[in-house]
Amino acid sequence: MDNVYEPDLMEVISVRQHSPDVKSVSLKFLDPERARTFSFKVGQFGIFSAFGYGESTFNICSSSNWKDHIDFCFRKVGRVTEALWKIEERDMVGFRGPYGNGYPMDAWKGHDLIFLGGGIAMPPIRCAVWYALENRADYGEITIVYGARTVADLVYVDELDKWAQFDRVRVLRCVDPGGETSDWKGEIGFVPHVFERSRVKSKDPIVLVIGPPIMIKNTLPILDKMGVSPASVYTSIENRMKCGIGKCGRCNVGPIYVCKEGPVLTMQQLQGLPADY
Amino acid sequence: MSEVISQTALRMLTGEWIGAGKQVAGPARVKPDLVLYSALHSAEALLLEGFVRPSNSIKEFVFPKQEKLYGYRIQGNRVELIENDAPLPEQVVIAARPCDAAALPILDKVFNWDFVDEFYNRRREATTVITLACNIADETCFCTSVGLGPVSERGSDVMLFDLGGHNYEVFCVTEKGRALFSGKTEKSGQTVRATATPEKKFNPETIRSFVSEHFEDPFWQEHALTCVGCGTCAFTCPTCHCFDIVDAGPAAGSARVRTWDSCQFPIFTAHASGHNPRPAQGSRQRQRILHKFAIYPEKFGEILCTGCGNCTRNCPEGIGVLSVAMEIDPIETKHG
Repeated sequence: MDNVYEPDLMEVISVRQHSPDVKSVSLKFLDPERARTFSFKVGQFGIFSAFGYGESTFNICSSSNWKDHIDFCFRKVGRVTEALWKIEERDMVGFRGPYGNGYPMDAWKGHDLIFLGGGIAMPPIRCAVWYALENRADYGEITIVYGARTVADLVYVDELDKWAQFDRVRVLRCVDPGGETSDWKGEIGFVPHVFERSRVKSKDPIVLVIGPPIMIKNTLPILDKMGVSPASVYTSIENRMKCGIGKCGRCNVGPIYVCKEGPVLTMQQLQGLPADY
Repeated sequence: MSEVISQTALRMLTGEWIGAGKQVAGPARVKPDLVLYSALHSAEALLLEGFVRPSNSIKEFVFPKQEKLYGYRIQGNRVELIENDAPLPEQVVIAARPCDAAALPILDKVFNWDFVDEFYNRRREATTVITLACNIADETCFCTSVGLGPVSERGSDVMLFDLGGHNYEVFCVTEKGRALFSGKTEKSGQTVRATATPEKKFNPETIRSFVSEHFEDPFWQEHALTCVGCGTCAFTCPTCHCFDIVDAGPAAGSARVRTWDSCQFPIFTAHASGHNPRPAQGSRQRQRILHKFAIYPEKFGEILCTGCGNCTRNCPEGIGVLSVAMEIDPIETKHG
């Protein structure tokens, strides 16, 4: 019987701790045939599981160009993530996916890209940034503004440095006022304000903004002032999911099944939906 | 002329199916005041009259309350998956109400769009539905509001119509149904079917437009003030199909299990961040109506409601699709 709920088994290659409560994990498929044929689009997600504890939904935060492993990143907040927190190299986790629509990276070609992320929103931005950098000639200027509450809450900090070394890339990092340390060299302020202060000049950019609702809310007027159309502003929404395949009925926002027609939506699409996310 | 079977012969036939190893389910009085669709171990338990409809629905025979999706064995850091593909016995649901049978073709759509759910499909294929047309309705029935009625054949393999005198007309809708009754009926000139139609009627389009246009209306909160959030509406609904996927850990047999869930529970949509898009019971009541009358019709071309009235009937506070409809209709009329 074809079982759409049965996961692939994946082996943990490495685990990395980013902050007091955030880790990322790199995985490879146990089945070499599955490893060879697997492909996904950046922005898609997977349902990852700790056997004996349950399943959880995370963005696949590696680039789709990387063929030997996939990454996911999580914050320890519940039963499943408590269990995932304990996994080590060579342990096995379950994976279902890839699910969801992903970012339209082809449609973004030729545009400047602006990535705005807050806190644990770095992973779903990271995959798109690497993808764009690996196809550098396809995209214009790239601006990345990434912030968190405190210095300790920033994730993938070392990769921000790597990105900054690429041609036509500007990386701004920030922490909320009071979240800085004595040796902090980045900006102090909230992501929308830091972005506004940076005075990015861009004609017809694509913006990917992911973070807490308040961050997104405060970013939109700034983009509006820059003349960016809501159809060019993308986000990835984080509705709770279980099945990931449009059956379990929990991720609807109006008629949209976020697991199938999302999680990537434009602000124009979101404006047409009930405030149910 | 019609095909007829007596109640005695129907009971004997039911006994034969049970004896032949079929899983047979039908209405049974499980407590003095409670009728449920139940697995029948003897034909004596089958209840054919004296009730409006069971308090549960037949969905549990194609979409069980709990269903193992697969097992796993954990040894050190190795995991082995164990498929759950034990063959299913043939299943007969007898004396389903039309509002239960009609739910199945509606549910087929969500379990089969894009990703095909074989757990649902294989049970559905193994099941024959024999429907007993309604000769009784109560004040919470409203099937005629959603395009059905006391003699609707939708989703049924066989229809039984009460002819009085403990005789039933047998009308086979599908070949699967005909196979069960072949040679078991008699010809009769008796054709006057006893049926009963619900009194209450509303226009589902009124509900759709209200819920779509009054998303933030205080109506929802007011309507939900007495709701205790128990989820009975969803669990006894023939069409509510939301589920959770949970682990029964090593202590409970090491399996991943699908269980019924309900949009009426606060945790249903709670994000890991603590944010909940539906923080109040009113927003959860609204979701149930929105899903049934706007979302599902837009996605699948079907209202996700068969008018059985179970939500309102079983709710400790009498809240359900009908109570919402009865309040919305006057509101809509008032405001034009």
